[in-house]
Amino acid sequence: MKNGPTTRGAGGARGPLRFGEDPLLWAAWLYYEDGMTQGDIATQMGISRASVNAYLADARERGIVSIEIDPDRFRALSIAQTLQEHFDLMDCLVIPSDGRGKPLIDRLGDAGAQVLARTAQSGDTIAITWGRTMLSLADSIRTSGLQDLRVVQATGGTTAKIPWTPEACATTLSDALGARCIPISAPAIVSSPEMRELLLREPVIAEQMGVLSEANRIILGISSLRPESTIHTSGFFDAVDMQDYGNAAVGSIAGRLISASGEAVAGPLEPRTIGIDLDSLRTIPCRIGVAGGMDKVQAILAALRGKLVNVMVTDADTARAVLASEGRDIGAPKRTNKAGSALPERLRVKKFLNRPQDAVNEAIAGAVLAHEGLLSPIDGAPRALKAAIGPRPGKVGLVIGGGSGHEPGFLGYVGPGLADAVAIGNIFAAPPPDPILAATLAADGGAGVLHIFGNFSGDVMNFEMAADLAAAKGIPVRSIITTDDIASAPVETRAARRGVAGNVFVFKIAGAACDRMLPLDRCAELANRATQRCYTMGIALEPGTSLETRRPSFRIGPDEMEVGVGVHGERGIASDRLVSADAATDLIVDRILTEMAPAEGDRVALLVNSLGSTPQLELYIINRRLRQRLRARGVTVHRTLIGHYYTSLDMAGVSITAMLLDDELAALLDHPCQSPAWRVV
Amino acid sequence: MFTRNDLTLLFRVLAERMGAEQDYLAELDGEIGDADHGVAMSVGFAAAAKALSEGEADAPRLADGMVLAARALLNEIGATTGPLYASALLHAAKLLGQETEIPLARLPEVVVAISEGVAARGLGKPGDKTMLDAWAPAAHVARAGLMAGQDVLDTMTKAAQAAAEGAEATRAMMAAKGRAARLGPRSLGHLDPGAASAAALLDSMAQWVAAKAGRSVQ
Repeated sequence: MKNGPTTRGAGGARGPLRFGEDPLLWAAWLYYEDGMTQGDIATQMGISRASVNAYLADARERGIVSIEIDPDRFRALSIAQTLQEHFDLMDCLVIPSDGRGKPLIDRLGDAGAQVLARTAQSGDTIAITWGRTMLSLADSIRTSGLQDLRVVQATGGTTAKIPWTPEACATTLSDALGARCIPISAPAIVSSPEMRELLLREPVIAEQMGVLSEANRIILGISSLRPESTIHTSGFFDAVDMQDYGNAAVGSIAGRLISASGEAVAGPLEPRTIGIDLDSLRTIPCRIGVAGGMDKVQAILAALRGKLVNVMVTDADTARAVLASEGRDIGAPKRTNKAGSALPERLRVKKFLNRPQDAVNEAIAGAVLAHEGLLSPIDGAPRALKAAIGPRPGKVGLVIGGGSGHEPGFLGYVGPGLADAVAIGNIFAAPPPDPILAATLAADGGAGVLHIFGNFSGDVMNFEMAADLAAAKGIPVRSIITTDDIASAPVETRAARRGVAGNVFVFKIAGAACDRMLPLDRCAELANRATQRCYTMGIALEPGTSLETRRPSFRIGPDEMEVGVGVHGERGIASDRLVSADAATDLIVDRILTEMAPAEGDRVALLVNSLGSTPQLELYIINRRLRQRLRARGVTVHRTLIGHYYTSLDMAGVSITAMLLDDELAALLDHPCQSPAWRVV
Repeated sequence: MFTRNDLTLLFRVLAERMGAEQDYLAELDGEIGDADHGVAMSVGFAAAAKALSEGEADAPRLADGMVLAARALLNEIGATTGPLYASALLHAAKLLGQETEIPLARLPEVVVAISEGVAARGLGKPGDKTMLDAWAPAAHVARAGLMAGQDVLDTMTKAAQAAAEGAEATRAMMAAKGRAARLGPRSLGHLDPGAASAAALLDSMAQWVAAKAGRSVQ
């Protein structure tokens, strides 16, 4: 016998010595480690099968055995259960959101096909709507061996310019199921209500609509009305102004618009639509909705609230977002906290402040005094400063600016070889047009003015308004909007990215170009090249403190960090497990190198920047790892800035910026400059 | 009638409301933005009310008042909120033309103008999870009320209600504009602070109309 000699004792066999007198441990070992059946275990232990069963249950209860389900799947299961309970669904399937490369629509199609295959019965009449997910479902369903099935189009037809028409979805599904296919031989939207009445009286169409009314199962997609939605390419809503619907519609099912509560939204299309209406839809006993994606959250929520769907197939992220919108927060799986209890949280943070509302003005006053030879005030514009040397005739003026809280940004970069003037906003708020205009006038040397600011809606609006005002006064302005934060949007939508610490390099390149008396277009072109070649990413360990409330603006868990943070004390793109300095550096470097794709021998400039309260010691540790990685990639470092260059008040964290250099950028970087925050001699 | 003095009084009420909502708005903004919306709205509307009050003699037309308020908001707030509300009030100024007073029944037109001004400046669309998600449904109700010749208090009350519902609906939206847009899916489940403050403004407007008409809001 595999487990060695056994001796019979009272109530059963005696187990090997290593199990001591603990029959639970023995039974658990045989079951989970040796993979024996409960029957075999009963024989070996000399007890009844019922006892084995009881032992195993006991072993789990006492923690001798702990069962772990793959966290991704576990999360999906628990979300599905919550979704089902919350919306009173018949059933619910939630698939993991990470498909390891396979598109969500295809995976949703697979999952929907599984659900349909499992629930469909012989004799069913199954209606199907249209769309990418529906076609993917129809494509991937396997024959079920059922008999006397009918598949019917839920709506009339649409333009044939798309591959996922109602006709295509219905015929593909009926072919796969071996069902009879019943089309609706009319357009989904007709030109007038009269035409609709006329068509519905046609015997062929009336018969088809009759079959549709007999549907006992419907499989439907849920469409958002967001601009990127495929509904706008379907021809369904062509030439209809959404204003007619008073913006009440948040989604669409079977070509019918639905409100946030899942009710029909009355509008000009309603009496011209041929297909199932929402009231009839609700009478179908089994209504399987298959949809996912963050753009659809609002529409899916509406469909669930309105009971238009009673079996839901979606993915974990979408489901969680739907539940979050209902105030049900299903967090990420709980991680075991090896450190034990949480660190005490700072509820009130001590600050050197007088009245919080005076902080910005008082800081400006102090800065002007500290850097007397470099900065001077601008008359009549308390929130703008200029370089003490003033504009040089024939030189392009450089104006920078943004909210306060980034010190030494932005006034730290004013001086010879850098900016000529700066506009200063409230904490993390863009400056209004007036100080930007004052800075522009102060910087004007008759050769035009260059504005450089980060890509935030407030900065863009206010700088644009100021540029218009300056143009009206005869000063040509070129604007460079920086977008170096690679974590803030994917590379395909680079223009949507935030402008963060990379600004420091862009200011330097532009300042040097202006100082070399290059013309405005050339200065703009170089500044643009600099921002295109800057790659920044940040990680935060602790949130920043609001000056008004003196409380942290959000919470980061004791063993968590925020990845992809910007510079306004906001959360990152994602929360991640806290890791070592080297691992955190690698996280950033991996992203930067992937996107920069430097060749061996390429040169970069580096900025290892504290977001506020991370000390120099930690920055050096990070820099050490950063350089190891760059050396391994064969990338050389032309110049390193390390310290507080572009902060987010007192946030603890770091950002790394790498700028890929060419000879021209390297020369401009080495050009002399003198400012409160940066000096090159 | 709605007079130039009424405009000052209305903005005082709005400023008071924004002061009262300051902490709540800051908290909402802390979740998905940079926590500055509470201060911005409170300080900005206080400055607008002050400018309206001080400029009453020099700027007697309603449009002048709107321009004063717009400039005060713009230069006090900056950020995103400043230009958006400045544009909104400049649209309202255009609507009011040379008038020194208008019938109270025309107040819903101001709501429509504000909504259009916000949309024109921000280039946003409903569903982007912005203040427009409160203003646009309110404007729709205001337009319908004007067309139907509905009682002004009734229209303003319904507009405020539509704005509140619109703001609540931003929970299910993923931000497509503004700073929260970088949070992507993480913005879901949270109220948009700009929509929340817009709903509060409309609620105060409806209550002001009720007080003016000597009735209470149902």
